Amino acid sequence: MPGIQNIFVLIKQVPDQSAKAGINPDGTIDRAKAKRMLNPFDRYALQAALHTKKNYGGKVTAISMGPPAAVEVLLEALEHGVDKCYLLSDKRLAASDTLATAYALYKVIKYIGDFDLVFCGLQTTDGDTAQVGPQIAERLHLPQVTYCEDFKIEENKIIAKRVVEGGYEWVKMQIPGLITVANSYHPLEYKTLRGARMVQHLLRNEAQRANYIKTITLDDIGADPVKCGLKGSPTIVARTDKVSEIGGSCVIHQGLPTEQMVLDLLRDTKIPEFIKS
Amino acid sequence: MSNEIKKLPEIITPSNKEVIIIGEVDNGEVKPVTIELLGAGRDLANKLSGILSCTLCGFNLGDLPKKLISYGADIVYVADDPLLKNYQTLTYRRVLIDFLSGFTLPPHIVLLGSTTTGRDLAPRLAAYFETGLTADCTELDIGPYEHTNKMDPEKVGLYPGCLYAIRPSFGESLKARILGPWKNPQMATVRPGIMLPLQIDNNRKGEIKKLSVNLHPEDYRSELIEVVHKINKSVNLAEADVIVSGGFGLGRAEGFELIKELADCFENSATGASRKVVDTGWIPYQYQIGQTGKTVRPKVYIACGISGAIQHRVGMSKSGLIIAINKDPDAPVFKFAHHGIVGDLYQIIPELIKQFKSNKLQLIKKEEEKLIA
Ligand SMILES: Cc1cc2nc3c(=O)[nH]c(=O)nc-3n(C[C@H](O)[C@H](O)[C@H](O)COP(=O)(O)OP(=O)(O)OC[C@H]3O[C@@H](n4cnc5c(N)ncnc54)[C@H](O)[C@@H]3O)c2cc1C
Ligand SMILES: Nc1ncnc2c1ncn2[C@@H]1O[C@H](COP(=O)(O)O)[C@@H](O)[C@H]1O
Repeated sequence: MPGIQNIFVLIKQVPDQSAKAGINPDGTIDRAKAKRMLNPFDRYALQAALHTKKNYGGKVTAISMGPPAAVEVLLEALEHGVDKCYLLSDKRLAASDTLATAYALYKVIKYIGDFDLVFCGLQTTDGDTAQVGPQIAERLHLPQVTYCEDFKIEENKIIAKRVVEGGYEWVKMQIPGLITVANSYHPLEYKTLRGARMVQHLLRNEAQRANYIKTITLDDIGADPVKCGLKGSPTIVARTDKVSEIGGSCVIHQGLPTEQMVLDLLRDTKIPEFIKS
Repeated sequence: MSNEIKKLPEIITPSNKEVIIIGEVDNGEVKPVTIELLGAGRDLANKLSGILSCTLCGFNLGDLPKKLISYGADIVYVADDPLLKNYQTLTYRRVLIDFLSGFTLPPHIVLLGSTTTGRDLAPRLAAYFETGLTADCTELDIGPYEHTNKMDPEKVGLYPGCLYAIRPSFGESLKARILGPWKNPQMATVRPGIMLPLQIDNNRKGEIKKLSVNLHPEDYRSELIEVVHKINKSVNLAEADVIVSGGFGLGRAEGFELIKELADCFENSATGASRKVVDTGWIPYQYQIGQTGKTVRPKVYIACGISGAIQHRVGMSKSGLIIAINKDPDAPVFKFAHHGIVGDLYQIIPELIKQFKSNKLQLIKKEEEKLIA
């Protein structure tokens, strides 16, 4: 049995929306000022890739597309035990929608070479579409399992538990394939001592860093610039409106004996209509 | 001369003015989101002076296609085949790609529900046709769009009849209007529980057409081995009239028993949870309500020990009556609830249950009736 050789995981750097910095008064994000972090959903994808390596062998390659600062999330991935990283960074990628993003990432995957499994996060917190994974799978002609919350590999097939409405299902999929990992998967474990030490070392040694994190451009991967960035994006955000804060109209029951508050609530609302008779 | 307006060239991308809903079946029933999409799609088709159609893939579909006509479809395209008994990405993808490729002029709009099926399938179709797809919309409309971006000179022009796909972004703080008029079909997935269905009308006329099913060997690279509907009726969040949800304020997994007990007092009720409760492992993901969980719109939503983070709110803010129970008077949930009780849920909920079971309520009601009379 050949076993697992190459595991790819796609991770993205996103603005940290819980930090106030870089959030404009109109609600949009000033990416230059915002705090940055690893997309929370991609932590599960990273864990799934690392589990695969631990249980079935192979090497984990983390791939990201973004501005040069995205190297931060790749360093974080190295701390967790990833073997190698690629960062696709190119000005011509600006304003990519999911179709253009998926095209560029597909070209990166083709450029890197053979793989058994590609793991993606379920979605990003800034794009928030859950589309990029399946769109890459389409370009690569791969089978896919989305919303995967657990899996095992047997006889070169992946048996995946997929969360669906009202329950879950088990799907058996041939390898190679693409998996998007649900946020009910195991949380990302601690950084490894080895990984953390290595990253410390790489931070001081730029020449060595290039061996672990390879930065590439559209020319390197032979991507058609017309299919990337603004030009390659069939959708645009034509306008954004701030959603006005609702509120101020809540009737608060407070400071009275429990029974009184409950009776007040029941008298003032239509809840009693819904009680089982 | 001076106030001459420079008119942008009008650009009409080829389409057959058809709005297509990709329908879903679950357990022998059309999914509610499909019926909702027919409601929304009817409006779009009318605005385009076009037609509304719906696809349905599955096995032993019986009268379901007819039902879709009663709910607004002009044409129902049916693939009824044992090979399509259960949803699988590659098999359904094949049937729909063959179908959508068969038009001389592409359909104008293709819509799917943002269910686990729709979100699995829609990006595959959009990538295949290299067309735009907007995820998880909460509003749809048709209108013109003037594209003036000089960075993108080939596209500059006035586009009539665009799909406006409107969705919340950055939590729910912004509403973004996303457009892609350059290529048809213009695609979107739409959140369940938001669009309003049409009234069923069994006299509505429509056509039922058969789709061909030609699967290839590579379409069998994944197979369904088991479906587990472990959750009883109480997770039927989409259809419940009353949802009682528990948050991290429960403090422990067993706290959920109390939530269930309260839900049990109501007719047609279900229980839900915040993500923190799900992440803590107190209850499975299927119960999660919010941005990364389910969107619900019950008549009554009771949030117990939930702070009301924006990501939770987006999943339930359309509920008819929102009640919050929280011991922190400053909890954000009180900003959007209609009624709130400030206090310990372990005191409030048992008291609620007690009152439901006592006849004091009836007494109050009777007194009020007397007063009115
Ligand atoms: C990308 C992203 C997606 C997310 N998606 C979702 C989502 O889909 N759904 C979701 O819910 N969240 C989601 N979240 C998480 C969300 O931001 C909040 O962290 C979460 O909703 C908080 O859950 P909670 O209200 O149960 O917990 P907390 O915020 O900890 O609130 C607990 C509340 O209980 C109250 N309390 C404590 N004890 C008692 C008591 N005895 N009686 C009464 N009240 C008590 C406290 O005052 C507090 O207000 C998401 C976050 C991110 C970043
Ligand atoms: N710029 C990117 N770089 C690397 N991976 C990405 C990027 N954008 C999206 N992805 C992957 O695709 C998943 C879904 O993203 P989205 O469709 O934007 O919600 C993410 O969780 C990532 O795994």
